[in-house]
Formats: sequence, C-alpha cells, structure tokens
Amino acid sequence: MLKKTIRFLYSMKFAILLLILLAAACVLGSVIPQKQSFMWYLSEYGTRGGALVVGLGLDDVFHAVWFLVLTVLLCCDLLACNLLHLPGLLAQTRALGRAPKAGEKTVGAVSGVEKPEAVFEKLHMPKPKRAEADGKTVLYAAKNRAGVWGAWVTHLGALLLIIGFTMGQATLTEYTVMGVPGKTCPVGDTGLTLTVEDFDVAYTESGTPQQFTARVTMHGPEGDRSGTASVNHPASLYGFKIYQNSVGTAAKATVRSEGGTVAEDVLCPGDVLQIPDTPLTITFEAYRNKGFGGSGTVPGYTFVLENGNSGERYYGEQAEGENAEFDYGVSAAGGEGRSVRSYEVRFSEPRTATLLRLKQERFTWLALLGGLLTMLGLILSFYLQPRRVWAVQDGEGWTVSGECRKGGALFYDRLREAAQTGEKEETTDAGC
Amino acid sequence: MLAAENVLFTVAMCLYFAAMIFYFLFTALKKEKLSRIAIGVQALAFLLHTAALVCRGIGAGRLPLTNQYEFAASFAWGLCLVSLIFILKFRFPVLGAFLTPLIFLVIGYAAMQSREIKDLMPSLRSNWLGFHVSTAIIAYGSFGVSAVVSAIFLFRSRMKDEGFWGQHVPNREKLDLISYRSVCLGLLFLTFTILTGAIWAERAWGSYWSWDPKETWSLITWIIYAVYLHLRFNRGWRGRSAAIFAVIGFACVLFTYVGVNTLLPGVHSYK
Ligand code: HEM
Repeated sequence: MLKKTIRFLYSMKFAILLLILLAAACVLGSVIPQKQSFMWYLSEYGTRGGALVVGLGLDDVFHAVWFLVLTVLLCCDLLACNLLHLPGLLAQTRALGRAPKAGEKTVGAVSGVEKPEAVFEKLHMPKPKRAEADGKTVLYAAKNRAGVWGAWVTHLGALLLIIGFTMGQATLTEYTVMGVPGKTCPVGDTGLTLTVEDFDVAYTESGTPQQFTARVTMHGPEGDRSGTASVNHPASLYGFKIYQNSVGTAAKATVRSEGGTVAEDVLCPGDVLQIPDTPLTITFEAYRNKGFGGSGTVPGYTFVLENGNSGERYYGEQAEGENAEFDYGVSAAGGEGRSVRSYEVRFSEPRTATLLRLKQERFTWLALLGGLLTMLGLILSFYLQPRRVWAVQDGEGWTVSGECRKGGALFYDRLREAAQTGEKEETTDAGC
Repeated sequence: MLAAENVLFTVAMCLYFAAMIFYFLFTALKKEKLSRIAIGVQALAFLLHTAALVCRGIGAGRLPLTNQYEFAASFAWGLCLVSLIFILKFRFPVLGAFLTPLIFLVIGYAAMQSREIKDLMPSLRSNWLGFHVSTAIIAYGSFGVSAVVSAIFLFRSRMKDEGFWGQHVPNREKLDLISYRSVCLGLLFLTFTILTGAIWAERAWGSYWSWDPKETWSLITWIIYAVYLHLRFNRGWRGRSAAIFAVIGFACVLFTYVGVNTLLPGVHSYK
C-alpha cells in the first residue's frame, strides 16, 4: 500500500493532478480580487462567503500555504521524475546508435526496396552504418539523438524556474522613493540615501508623455554613485536596481505663525513635515487638479495634521491660493503655562515628482536560466524527435523499417514515400 | 499609408469571406477544384492582410502590435498563416472550412475596434514588446488550429472511412498527431511569449512576474497545454481526453485575449 502510494506520488498521473490543481488555483487567484480587507470580502461575498474566502487563503492565493505546498510537491515530482528517468534515457541514447536487434519495435516496414541507401538519403540520414546479423546485412542510422533529452531538459528548466522565482520572492528587498530634483530621501532602513538630481518628462508632438528620466545619486559607505533611470532602462547602484516606476505630484508646504515662517519643505505624497517646538506633524496626502473651492473646479491639496502619538488627527483640505488655519496650545518658554498660537498651512507650487522603485532580487538569473532551459527542452522534445531507420537484406531486396517514438503514423507515411517514390523528401524535421 | 491600409484590410476581409464560401462549397459539392480555389483565395487574402499590416506599421512608425485593433488584426493574420501551413503540409483542405470562419470572426472583431493611432505610453516603447506580441500571435494561431483539429477528432468517429469525408479527413491517429504538432508549435511560442514578456516587465515595471491577470491566464493556458502533452503519454487518455484539453486550452487562449482585458483589471488592458 505504502509502495503504491509512493509510486503514485512520483507518477505522471499525480503530476497531471498537480498541474490541474495549480491551474485551478490560478483561476481563483485571478477571478477573486486579491489582498483586499476582510471587511471588503464580507461586503462582497456575504458573511459566510467572505469568511470562507479569507479562511481558505483565497484572498491571497499566490502566497497561501496550500499554494506553496502544491508548488513544492510539483518540484519534488519534477526532481524525482528526472532522477528516475536518467538511467533509462542514457540507455535509450546509446541504443539509438546501435544496430537493431531482431523483433525491434517499428512503426512499419516496407519490403522489396532495391536501393536502401537512397531511402536513407531521402530521410536525411545519408551515411548508414553496416552490420551483419544472423547472416544478413543490416544498414542502420539514427537521427536527432539529442531529442531523447527534451522532456528531461524541460523538467529541469521548469524546476529551476520555480526554485529561482520562489527564492527570489522570499529574499526580495524592495523600497519605493518619491522625490523631486534636489530632494534627498532615505532608502528604507538601509542607511543609504538617494538624491534626485534631475527629473525630465519628454513629450510627443501631441503632448502625451514619451519618456520619464530621473538622474539620481545614491550616498552610502562607498561614496556617491550616480546613474540614470528611465522607463524600460533601470539604473544599477549599490546593488539595487532602480526603476523609473511612475510619477506623482509634490508641493511646497509652508507653515507660518505670528507673521513668520516656522517650517517649509517640498513634500511628496506621504512625506511628513514636523512643526518645530510642537509634537505636530503635517502629512501631505495628494494634489488634485479639481474638486476644491466653492464650485469644486479649483485645484487643491489634502493633508493630515497629527498631534504626536495622542491619536488626535485632523484631515485637512486646502484650495489652491488659500490657507488652512488652526490653533494649537504650546507651552510658554520656561514651561510655565500654555499659550495658544495660530498656524497657517499653505501648500503651493505643485510639481511632478518621480516615483522610483529600488529592488534587490537575488535569484533572477536562476529563473532566467530555468526559462531558457525550458525553451531548449521544448525545442528538443518537439523538433528533434529521435528516429531510427534500418534496412535488412532480404533475398533479392531489402526490408526497410523505422522507429519514431512520437508521430509513428506520420513517420511511416514518410518512410513509405521515401521507399516508393524517387522524389526527395521535402518535409522538415518537424514532420518526423 | 493609412488609407492604403484601410483598403487592403477591407479587401482582405472580403477575401477571407470568399475563401470561407469556397471551402463550404468544396465540402458541400465535393469538387476538388473548389478546394484549390479556396486555398488560393485564402493565400491571396493573407498576402493583402500582410500588406495592410505593413502599411499600418509604416504609417504608425512602429510595429502594429499595441492596441486592441492591431492585436486582433495580427491574431487573425497568425491564425491564417498557421492554418495555411497546416493545410498545405498535411494536405488537409477541409481544415480551411472550419478555420476560415474563425479567421473571419477575429478579423471582424478587429474591424469593430477603433483604428485611431495613439502615441504609445513610455512602457510600451520597448523592443521586447515586438518579440512578446509577435510570438503570441503565432502561439494563438497554432492553438486555434489545434483546437479545430481536436474538435474534428472528437467527431471523426461519426464519419465513414469511405467517401468524401473519409478521403479528406485524416484518421483519428493522424488527427491526433496534427493537433499535437500545432500544440507543439503553439506551446513553444507561448513559452517564448511568456519569457520575453517577463524580461520586458522586469525592465519596465521592475518585476518579471507579478501575478497580473493576463500573466496568470497565460500561465493557466501554458499549464493546460502541459497537461495535454502529458495526457498524450497515457494510452488510455491519449486521443479523446487530450483533444478535449486542446479545446479547453484554446478557450483559455480566447479568455486570456478578450476576457482578461474586459473582465479583469491589470496592466495589460488596452485602454
Ligand atoms: C511544470 C511542469 C511540467 C512541464 C512543463 C512538463 C513538460 C513536459 C514536456 C514538454 C514533455 C515532453 C512532451 C512531448 O514530447 O510531447 C514532458 C514529458 C514527460 N513528463 Fe513532464 N512536465 C512537467 C511536469 C512533470 C512532472 C511533475 C512529471 C512527473 C512524473 C512529469 C513526467 C513526464 C514524463 C514521464 C514525460 C515523458 C518523458 C518521455 O518519455 O519522453 N512531467 N513533460
């Protein structure tokens, strides 16, 4: 029973089952919107349906444990399949080059052939070997022996591809940085910083963007390194690939109090400005080119004002050209009593900012190698189909037989044609 | 150039229709000569269709493979190319009677799309796009042929071996092999499509695989055809089950092509 189970686990039937399950998982992963909130699934699929979706991990199929288990099982199956078939394939490759034995498997035979060499020639096997067996002369030739390895190479390629992709995802380091020329931003917690030196948008004649190009410098322990990232042409600095990912709008934020400017900076969406001597912070959310003012046609800005960790939060809006005002009680100098100060926030001068994606992915080469091997394997499997032809002297004439593991019926047609007509074969290798 | 494209495209579409009628007449009247005319008309339509695509490419100053119209027109072109190859290589003109309606349908769908030439967004300005889409066209065309051959396979047992159908439609074993050949061609090109798409996505968006619906559906299609190949190794499942999978595979191709763009969101929707 155990043996049977193990044999099933390494069988092609199980491989087919795994592939079908993976395909079904992919269907679910593409049809059910992924990575939404629990509440979203409840509202979309009802209480039971939503709970089921989240409980089964269908809200993030491609990172669910069961999806990983299916993938690992497929990898084990691929590995086992390749290991188990290795001796057989070596033997097959050798056997293709040997003289045929009596009772050899064949797609069919044509007897009464007068010039067997011509048949070999027509089948693109111009130099058959000669041997003597049971007192009879035998001519034999093989073609496309490398094709024996097609499925093996495909399986190896698929295995490396899956391993490369999975390990790449598991060890991925990724940050996004949004900046405008002159601004320096930290790169996550790496200790590196990045300055956007220049950002250029090239337009076509009709005014649509043609290319976004950011010139950047990374500052780190080994000094400054500069490069250019544009769409389809990432830069490589400090082991990171830097992609020109998207664009957004930054704006200048000015905070004034009692007639003087107390804080000012250019903020990209998500950036925070601290108001000095207070726990207050202003987070810039977004610029929209309409939706503000009395008529709703004026451009404007949205931001969040926060009072330290107190949980006090105010969502603010400001139309272009106006100010947002608020009061805040600050401790008087010397810590005695509190006074209320009025603040004015003004966002202005919206400008295009670049969104850069910084990535360190370690196993891309393995996935690429896997992909290329898969291609090679498919070419070997499909277009180098191993075939063998032999002719045995039989009284006056010769009997020509052939073997082609795949496409026997079509190959027999070719064999017959080659044996019976004087015309040269036109069919390519694909028509084994 | 674009005016020439319009004329060539319309004439090619009419000729596809004419080829379809000739193929139907061939199967109805059972006259060999009609099959030769049908193949000739289809080949002529193909040449004009090619010329239309070339004109559009010159007119737009880029490969005509970037919007819904261009891709549909190219899909029909790929389907026609592969079908002609298989009709001639396997001397199987009856195939044309089943494939020309499909070609006509796809080119008709193309004709309904907007032909306006718009500037390309920056991420589409890549040489990888050319490789990615042109290989997809051949892959889709091959899968179309395999689905039709497999569908014929499923009905072959109802055809008598003697007479017109017996003479003009290969036996089940050969049909299975012809379908296999076109799946091989399609799968090879689909693998190339996915690989070049991944390389392009890596350069443009910084991620070679992000489970975008179009990517996911091309993987589903790829898996379905891998299952097809394995089914063929099993004597009990070869033939009927494999043929059913070839048809399901093409349904996935169509969904990847039309359904994903219209029903599921992602970076591949041609908006
Ligand atoms: C990603 C998954 C897989 C892919 C893409 C794949 C692909 C292929 C291809 C292309 C062939 C050659 C088919 C042909 O020449 O017509 C093949 C054959 C085969 N596959 Fe797979 N395969 C996969 C998984 C597996 C697994 C997990 C097994 C485990 C049992 C397996 C077992 C076999 C066997 C036994 C053959 C026949 C080999 C021969 O006799 O030449 N495959 N596979």
